[in-house]
Amino acid sequence: MTGPFRTSVGHAFGRTAMPLAAYYGVTLALPLANGAGRSGTAFVQHAVIVLAVPPLLVLLICAIHAMGQAAARFARSSPSSRGASSISRARDVQHLAPGGST
Amino acid sequence: MKTKLAFALVAIVIAWGLKRHYADARPDDLSWILGPTARLVSATTGETFVLQTGEGYFSRERLFLIEKACAGVNFMIAAFAMLVVALFHRVESRVEAMRVLGASLLASYSAAVLVNTVRISIAMWLASHPAALSAFSAADVHRIEGITVYFAGLVLLHELVRRFEGRVAAFGTEARSAEVAS
Repeated sequence: MTGPFRTSVGHAFGRTAMPLAAYYGVTLALPLANGAGRSGTAFVQHAVIVLAVPPLLVLLICAIHAMGQAAARFARSSPSSRGASSISRARDVQHLAPGGST
Repeated sequence: MKTKLAFALVAIVIAWGLKRHYADARPDDLSWILGPTARLVSATTGETFVLQTGEGYFSRERLFLIEKACAGVNFMIAAFAMLVVALFHRVESRVEAMRVLGASLLASYSAAVLVNTVRISIAMWLASHPAALSAFSAADVHRIEGITVYFAGLVLLHELVRRFEGRVAAFGTEARSAEVAS
């Protein structure tokens, strides 16, 4: 994991902490308090999926966001760098040409 | 301090009352949330849902039942609790406390109906396209879809509240600086 990606993941988890707490509270804490834990493996299976899916979603959205940003950076930098390199190439050609200005 | 404590107690009683009502209710008792949801799902998907006494809202064409478990009351409780905590700092007087409680109830109810409509519409689409996620069983797909939509709904609602709070704060600052300037 790169530094900026780790920062953005940390930021995303910070922002979603309250919805995550509310969701876990209603889907896990309340049923546990009502004795759902006694139902055994059915509740454990449910709990594993409920615990895993939201953080995975946050990670997935961060990854998509990071890829989108990288693509935007590439799109922004590409035309200018391509333009700059073609200008320098044109200058080089001018320099090398027998009838060039220098 | 007393107002904040009373506010927290009333909010807990409301959430607990909703949970108890949901636990004891028959599908017909949940028409206050199942009815609007079924109508919105009808408008979204174009399917007709008819009230079946004691069961819920049923689509004969799609053999799809919006039953008690689909009511979204748990989502409403989660959204209500989240909003109450997020807006707790605004509770300075009894009037503010009533406003926050009212706004939280209204927003959580509206969000529950909307988010549940999205969840049921997607579930209907997935039911008619079983090959879309063939690696999972139908029950797993339904469960993962529910978790995804409900969690995303809570995150969106929280973001909306944050933005609203930001605008209110900015408006307050502007009003104060205008007062100072005049």
